[in-house]
Amino acid sequence: MFDDLIHVFVPRTYKLSNGKIVKEKVSKSPYIIIILILMVIGCGKIVGFNFSQLIKRGHFFFDMLKKMFPCNWSYWPMMKKAMLDTIIMSILGSVIGCVVALPVSFFLSANFKISKVITVSSRIVITLFRTLPIMVFACFFQLLFGMGTFTGTLAISVFTFTICTKMMYEYIETVDMGAYEAIQSTGASRIKCIWTSIWPQVKGYFFSTVLLTLETNVKSASILGYVGAGGIGIVLDSQLSLRKYSNLGLVVLVMTLTVVALEFLARYGRRKLSDV
Amino acid sequence: MSNDRIDNKLKEYPSVWVKFAVMAVFILIMIFLGKITLQFNEITELGVRLIKGALYGLITPSWETIIDLSKNGLLYMVLETFAIGFLGTIIGAVLSIPLAFLCSHRTAPRWVNVIFITLVTVVRSFPTIMIAIMFVKTVGSGPFAGVLTMSIGSTGMITKMTMEAIEDLDNGVVEALDASGCNAFTKIRLGILPQLSAAMLSNILYRLDINVKNASILGLVGAGGIGAALIVGIEYRKWNDVGALLWGIVILVLIIELVSTKIRKSISSKD
Repeated sequence: MFDDLIHVFVPRTYKLSNGKIVKEKVSKSPYIIIILILMVIGCGKIVGFNFSQLIKRGHFFFDMLKKMFPCNWSYWPMMKKAMLDTIIMSILGSVIGCVVALPVSFFLSANFKISKVITVSSRIVITLFRTLPIMVFACFFQLLFGMGTFTGTLAISVFTFTICTKMMYEYIETVDMGAYEAIQSTGASRIKCIWTSIWPQVKGYFFSTVLLTLETNVKSASILGYVGAGGIGIVLDSQLSLRKYSNLGLVVLVMTLTVVALEFLARYGRRKLSDV
Repeated sequence: MSNDRIDNKLKEYPSVWVKFAVMAVFILIMIFLGKITLQFNEITELGVRLIKGALYGLITPSWETIIDLSKNGLLYMVLETFAIGFLGTIIGAVLSIPLAFLCSHRTAPRWVNVIFITLVTVVRSFPTIMIAIMFVKTVGSGPFAGVLTMSIGSTGMITKMTMEAIEDLDNGVVEALDASGCNAFTKIRLGILPQLSAAMLSNILYRLDINVKNASILGLVGAGGIGAALIVGIEYRKWNDVGALLWGIVILVLIIELVSTKIRKSISSKD
């Protein structure tokens, strides 16, 4: 038993009949597991992981759920507008972001050889923006434009733009350039070449990216209300601070159902697209 | 003769006008949607001044915050954000393994699938901010609540991806084990897990990417991480601090993204 354990780290050596000594290859995974365990312990220390507290106070979590459900159905007329705002904000934001991203991603993909300096520098800028959470965009637009749905739509558009651009230019770089060169040799302009040879190849991927971003944006749009960018987040915040838990239950229920429904629709759409 | 064929082929395609009509209807719908929700706000002079200050702050981040090694310093907050994302992903991954097997029709009976798929879908679509609020009420504000939120939030997604990987498995190995009389656990351990580990590892790394990015939002409701300081900084217009924090987020997310992409590429090239 102990012998086996040692050989996890120290390679077994075999002496062959011709006198050569051969070492068995050692798997790296034990080291990786040890590093992972050390990291988990370290991170647990940093965040103050406290399992007993969770068990002791765990019933509070379910108490809150119990307070929220059954929910107060009569609150629906008051929150209808906010919910509609959230959905439209995310639809408009996704569409605007993706439509703007499309020409930019053609511009940024390496196969059109526009200008290396411009391509690389704009890619760096977009990568930097892509790492920021959507809340940061919302905060900055809120300073510039004040509160409201317009701010939220702008924040979603910019966020979508950064993600969609990256996905699109990575995909465009894998595209077959033969058709493009063929049409270029007929003397057509660059835009016409792209429109007839590249666009048909990427359009399926583009539409499915639009649906994918729509799916994630509906989820993140609920946060935007917190920083004053319109939508259901405002209602969530106000009902929470008023401690009207049954109203809150309805808000949460409607949000969950909306996300499920949109996810279902988006998946259906993407399956249809991949069939075509 | 050949001209006829070309003409006929051309007529098979929808005309340009149909395409334009579809585009026009789409744009009209978008404008209509915009009309009923958006109130267009004008850019205020105050706003322009604030944004100028903010941009200036981004270029000149406050070095005091960056060098500060105490709990209010940038380094500690970035580390805390990473810890929340990392632990959340690990717990989510551990929780998702049994759930994925219960959700897949290959390893569990139909009625079990229906129950667990519904459960996972509901949990996945439940607003994350609400989970965070509930955990803050349960265990008090702080990064621990953030870890719990992240683990619940990522369980749903990882389960779904693992489930899809299980559906793609090669059934031959499992059938062979079945024929030799193995029980369900042996089948999972020897027939499924070795095939699954690469896909699962790559899913988990992908999720780590997203979780570290999202962990910076949790501060909004007091669930730890860099977000709380960020919001306070923006509220009190301390642009140099905000600049430092944003650079912290950017660098953290970039490093995680680079490492995870690299490992994922090496995994997929091994197959």
